[in-house]
Amino acid sequence: MSKTVNGVVIDDTFAEAFGMSGTGIIITADTLKWARIAATVATGFGTSVIGCGAECGIDKELSPDETPDGRPGVRILIFGFSPDALVPQIRNRIGQCVLTSPGSACYAGFKADKTIGLGKGPRLFGDGFQTAKKLGGTRYWRVPVMDGEFVIEEETGLTTDAVGGGNMLILGTDRAGLLETAEAAVDAIAKVDDVITPFPGGIVRSGSKVGAKYAGMFASTNDAFCPTLRGTTKKTELAPDTLAVLEIVIDGLTSKAVADAMRAGLKAVTDIGAKRGVTRITAGNYGGKLGQHHYHLKDLI
Amino acid sequence: MSGFTLRLKAPATERLTLSGITPAKLSALSALEIARLPVGVEKGGVTLGDAFEISGSAGDVLTLEGATAELDYIGHGLDSGTIRVIGNAGTYAGRKMSGGKLEIHGNAGDFLASGSTGGMIHVRGNAGDNLGGMVQGDRFGMLGGLAVVEGNIGARAGDKMRRGTIVVRGKTGAHTGSRMIGGTIWAEGGFGPEPGLMMRRGTLIGPSVEKLLPTFVDTGKHDLVIVRIISRYLKTVLGDLAPKPMPLFVQKIGGDLATIGRGEILLPAS
Repeated sequence: MSKTVNGVVIDDTFAEAFGMSGTGIIITADTLKWARIAATVATGFGTSVIGCGAECGIDKELSPDETPDGRPGVRILIFGFSPDALVPQIRNRIGQCVLTSPGSACYAGFKADKTIGLGKGPRLFGDGFQTAKKLGGTRYWRVPVMDGEFVIEEETGLTTDAVGGGNMLILGTDRAGLLETAEAAVDAIAKVDDVITPFPGGIVRSGSKVGAKYAGMFASTNDAFCPTLRGTTKKTELAPDTLAVLEIVIDGLTSKAVADAMRAGLKAVTDIGAKRGVTRITAGNYGGKLGQHHYHLKDLI
Repeated sequence: MSGFTLRLKAPATERLTLSGITPAKLSALSALEIARLPVGVEKGGVTLGDAFEISGSAGDVLTLEGATAELDYIGHGLDSGTIRVIGNAGTYAGRKMSGGKLEIHGNAGDFLASGSTGGMIHVRGNAGDNLGGMVQGDRFGMLGGLAVVEGNIGARAGDKMRRGTIVVRGKTGAHTGSRMIGGTIWAEGGFGPEPGLMMRRGTLIGPSVEKLLPTFVDTGKHDLVIVRIISRYLKTVLGDLAPKPMPLFVQKIGGDLATIGRGEILLPAS
């Protein structure tokens, strides 16, 4: 039974999500501006594991009190299919995007028993001039660079209990109002720790189905949710007045974080309600057989 | 907080070796076995019971009362619990320590923390020569852990030290960090003459140096992220005992160029 909250219909369905490997990394710099720049670049081209190799995003900004070096920082999260798949992603993203960014330093942003290399690769840029400094149980590498030293922690924590693909689809009759509502949901999700929304601005407009008519395409457009195909495809999910659908995809270090994020996102949407043209919220799933994690919308409102 | 207390009965007439006498070891033994532990180094075969009044019960704190500089190897091999020394400690205190805490409410002798790999040593008074230094027959000096001395220390602290941190609230003697391979020595009262003799890597931090070796070079003024990290780390683990943070800019003196020269002496930039 679907439910209606503040004029928005909430389908009795669930978001189906997958187990992933994930890690957190703290990037600091002389100013928050430069920490943000390094973090934004390092998490770029990280929307979907299908084509990007990893799903990445900024979790939150950190005050100087919260970082190991007392400078402003940003915490990013990186998710991949497996720990082995994360290794080259971390090495390349940190090596090309953080090491190169003025004044940057890089630390473990996730504490766990399992660890994954953080500075193990990038330290070799030091060409033998790099030195290590071990304080307590933590080893830092100091790599001489042209503006001083790039400091990077040797390892960061790793979880194989991360969740990728928590989602919600927001349907509406007004494209501008729908986008504003989705933005509000992304803003609300951003306040939840340990989660990211990896797509552009946190929002996907090209929801996909599994497979395609073309060989080699793993995913293709979700025609049942394309408003311009309404009535011309075998099956449409859209009511006659629906003009657009936007999806929010959520990755989290824990299943609870993803559930909390979905709850925050749903609340933001229903708080705005039907007045901005949102008519319905649903979620993407594959019948429940593919993903280990199911998030029922009715449990989250 | 339960644990045994050992009170020295009379001034020691020979050197006494407290090697391996840790809270965990005593807690696993009977009163008779404890009293029979050998501590003498001469022919007489002095036992723990001969030299000390033993009181208390099993626990993770061992207190040594009336301790003097004749007691060597206090805390040798300590891996957990606390040893509290009321009085002075002799040579080799905290040797090969891997965990736990050694508190010396007095002065420590030479070779404090030699070969230690972990744990925390806190000396209220002064410490002798070769703090965290290499003992003949070892490959390295200190290999990890943290040693804090509130007073002054002698010569050649950190000789062949590889890892770990030494904090001295007072001054150091000559040749601090000689042959150093890694680790950090922070001397709030400044360094004596010629620190870093033949050092390969490692960090010496302080307000002043009495006399620099000619094989050290000024690399200029820098605001080093690692100095902030070290300050924060020490503040976290030491609290009020932590040295005052260095100014944002430090003068980095690199050396010893008689070796690979990756070591550094960090002084406040003037």
